[in-house]
Amino acid sequence: MLTTIKRVILAPLTAALMILSAGAIAEYPEKAISYVIPFGPGGESDITARHQQPFFKKKFGKDLVISYKPGGGGAVGWAQLNKMPGDGYNIMGVNLPHIIVKPLQKDVGFKTDDLALIHMFHYTPDAVVVNIDSQFKTLQDLIDHAKKNPGKVTFSGSGKGTANHLAQVTFDKLAGTKTTYVAFKGTGASVTALLGNQVMGQWGYTSVGAKHSDKVRLLAVAMEQRHPRFPDVPTFKELGFDIVSGAYRGIAVPNSTPEDIRVKLSSLIDQINADAAFKQKMENDGFALVNVDYKGMKAFMEEKRKGYAAAAKEAGVIK
Amino acid sequence: MPTEPQSRDTGGMIVAAIFILIGVLALWDTFDYTDADSFVFPRTVAAAMIVFCIGLIAWSLAHPIDVGSRRAQSTPRRVGLVTAMLIAALLMPYTGFLLSGLLAFAAIVWLAMYDPWTRGRLIVYPLVGSAIVLGFYFLFTKVLLVPLPTGRLFIG
Amino acid sequence: MDSLGYLLAALTPYHVALAIGGVVAGTVVGSLPGLTATMAVAVLIPITFSMEPASALILMGAIYTGAIYGGAYAAILLNTPGTPSAIATTFDGYPMAKRGDGDLAITLACIASVCGGLVGALFLLFLAPPLANVALSFGPVEYFWLAILGLTLISALSQGNLLKGLIGACFGLLLSCIGVAEISADVRLTFGSQTLLGGIETVSALIGLYCIPVLIDLVATPDRHLKVEDVSRGFRLHEALDISWRSKFNLARSSVLGTLVGILPGAGGSIAGLVAYSEARRSSKQQQDFGHGAPEGVQATESANNATVGGGFIPTLVLGIPGTPPDAVILGALLIQGVRTGPNLFTEHGSIVYVFIWGLLLATVLMLPIGLLIGRYAYRSIVTVPKALLVPTVAFMTLIGTYAIRNSVSDVAIMIVLGVLGWVLGRFGFSASPIVLGLILGSIAEQGFVQGWIIGAAADDLWGQFFGRPISVGIFAFILLSLFSPLLLSRFRVKRELTGAD
Repeated sequence: MLTTIKRVILAPLTAALMILSAGAIAEYPEKAISYVIPFGPGGESDITARHQQPFFKKKFGKDLVISYKPGGGGAVGWAQLNKMPGDGYNIMGVNLPHIIVKPLQKDVGFKTDDLALIHMFHYTPDAVVVNIDSQFKTLQDLIDHAKKNPGKVTFSGSGKGTANHLAQVTFDKLAGTKTTYVAFKGTGASVTALLGNQVMGQWGYTSVGAKHSDKVRLLAVAMEQRHPRFPDVPTFKELGFDIVSGAYRGIAVPNSTPEDIRVKLSSLIDQINADAAFKQKMENDGFALVNVDYKGMKAFMEEKRKGYAAAAKEAGVIK
Repeated sequence: MPTEPQSRDTGGMIVAAIFILIGVLALWDTFDYTDADSFVFPRTVAAAMIVFCIGLIAWSLAHPIDVGSRRAQSTPRRVGLVTAMLIAALLMPYTGFLLSGLLAFAAIVWLAMYDPWTRGRLIVYPLVGSAIVLGFYFLFTKVLLVPLPTGRLFIG
Repeated sequence: MDSLGYLLAALTPYHVALAIGGVVAGTVVGSLPGLTATMAVAVLIPITFSMEPASALILMGAIYTGAIYGGAYAAILLNTPGTPSAIATTFDGYPMAKRGDGDLAITLACIASVCGGLVGALFLLFLAPPLANVALSFGPVEYFWLAILGLTLISALSQGNLLKGLIGACFGLLLSCIGVAEISADVRLTFGSQTLLGGIETVSALIGLYCIPVLIDLVATPDRHLKVEDVSRGFRLHEALDISWRSKFNLARSSVLGTLVGILPGAGGSIAGLVAYSEARRSSKQQQDFGHGAPEGVQATESANNATVGGGFIPTLVLGIPGTPPDAVILGALLIQGVRTGPNLFTEHGSIVYVFIWGLLLATVLMLPIGLLIGRYAYRSIVTVPKALLVPTVAFMTLIGTYAIRNSVSDVAIMIVLGVLGWVLGRFGFSASPIVLGLILGSIAEQGFVQGWIIGAAADDLWGQFFGRPISVGIFAFILLSLFSPLLLSRFRVKRELTGAD
């Protein structure tokens, strides 16, 4: 009931504000932008946002102020996004497949379509990671072992219904193997389990290979082409498995944000992505840049939604 | 050690009974989880809690405890404090943090006041209170960059 | 560069200034309920972009170590641990403050924190690479048992009945399940409420369960909050040094325990203080004083929790696995600067790591004068401020602090409701500590259990997975010991009272 009252009071105010902000669009951004990460500090979502921070300041003269709203694997933040003021100065990080899979599982307070997605700026490709002294030298070694010992090969990975988990399920199907997936609460914990030999391998990301380059070996990466940081690691496609996947990260705004600001914001993010120094830093950390801008978002999401939904059903995380 | 007033730990047993209810409620909730991994733990814990509660009730029936005498204390003030804080929390999104914080502060000063209101206190307390609230507000918003609610009633 | 060179590099005026500023800021941040080291460090990240990595690390490390010490103030003076690692400080610190020894408790905490911090940093300096492997030898099952150990320790340690403690711990574990599950993303125990979807945030629960009951009781009577002596007694430094010297073994043991437990990512910080506390109690001749204002209790916890700072940096710097949330932020800041962690960091980037460790040692030493000064100020302000201003100020701080943890109004409401619940339960002899620890360790216990189960099932060896690994067996034995020794002790005590001794 309160929301109805609020809407009645707020509608004229918001309208007035929109006119005001439309007048000021020429100079957007004219003050610091609050950038909310719906996860805790120190994770990959945080680190990539932190990479953007100095470039934003340098290029556009205004600060990106990063804050955190962790909880429910991002759900807490996304459920509140549309309640924030839509003036272009409140933006939030979004992650795929989270924003597609979670609402399909249960009512988590937001729907995929409710989120006004602006730009997807990078993705962390999935990768099969093993310890440097592992018996598996190539992906084929691993497949052979798994075929002989069904269910015995254990993989750590970050969460369920996540990029790691869905990739594992897809891989099992394509390779005809049966492996065991052990979910950890994040990539950090899943790497720790791998390094401590608690599991035989990890469904992780290329960024794991970059961060722990002295301890782990990548067997294959789920990219269209090889990652520039790992020229010797084959892609799944080269090895005959059609897997191109990973965790995409991008930016969304409250759905009350005017159209012209959305377009402008998308182009700002695009300009950061185009910066050679930014690209270099991101790739060094094992990330891969993508550029899905505001115009292309709808088609991109349509395609991803189909793929993820099918994989999630296969994995048994949605009914 | 005052050993005079001995009786059963009735309060503890009632709380244990309520915890049993909570445990049952939790058990019931676990039956509609989608993922097999997510009910194992809460179910085990709820069951363990129920067992411990039954154990506590049985133990309390057999063992009397000391009940210390309590001094007269002001329950209305207690309720007032909690209510003031809850109202401040619920108003926050609408009035903004600053206003609801000031209101809560004022209300709690009044609740916690046992000394007489002299003229000096009437002047000093509101001033100090406002300074504290404003100071923290400034510290959190400007230094620590916490986006405190600004209040949807006043600003879009 | 040799170690003297690194030491000199750490001692430049710029670095000393950073260390002083960091310790002051950290102590203040830590003393305010709701402000965490994680938050303070995260706010600093943009500033550190323009700094040398070693300088940035010194600043962040100083803030971190100051904040852990600052947490003792609220624990001693308001019965409110600012961070989970200070829970056991409340056990004896608050009773000490109640009886008028708050100033002594704070000075003791300061000395203990400096000791612990130094031991932790020295371990980091000399033994980091070999010790880092401890973090790796702990698998899911070990974490599960470690969490259970923490819970049995707290159930046995906190006041009142062991069964009540265990019930509280189970209740806390159930609270930890509320919301969207961290791994499976199932929505649990929310009963349809959107407010509960995000789960119960641990620091806000900590504030609610500890601080609100104190406030509720404060408004109810006209009495002063703490007993005060009219004569100013200064720092009582002599007295405190005397006590510290007498319990030097306690300090040393607690510091080493704190460092070693602190190495374990995730669980270490919150359990280290408890393990040290329970060991201090076990080896003390005056066991019955513990929980009623025994200085050794404060010393054990405070030295252990500051030792976790150095301990937590060990896996962070050697393996790139953050030991605690502030470590995670610091690690992130380093990555952005292009510094790769790993054993190479110690050999190839010695100029960063060793300068930082010396800086951390410097900050720890500086904590003694700074901590004493700020501690005295904190004590005096809590003691002298009239109740009508003290209560609303603390109440306001709980509101703003809880909100700030993850910018959520729901958390504030949950904090207050938990506070009322904690007060009611407290009246019936259920103490807050097991509930809070259950909440904190819930996800560790659950994930360890489920992961251990899956791995064990895949290897067709569930029994061996849970009971066949050497570290698990060790922890399990410790659990049995802590579970049954208080039972036996209390039986012994009851018998003695019945036979009319005393």
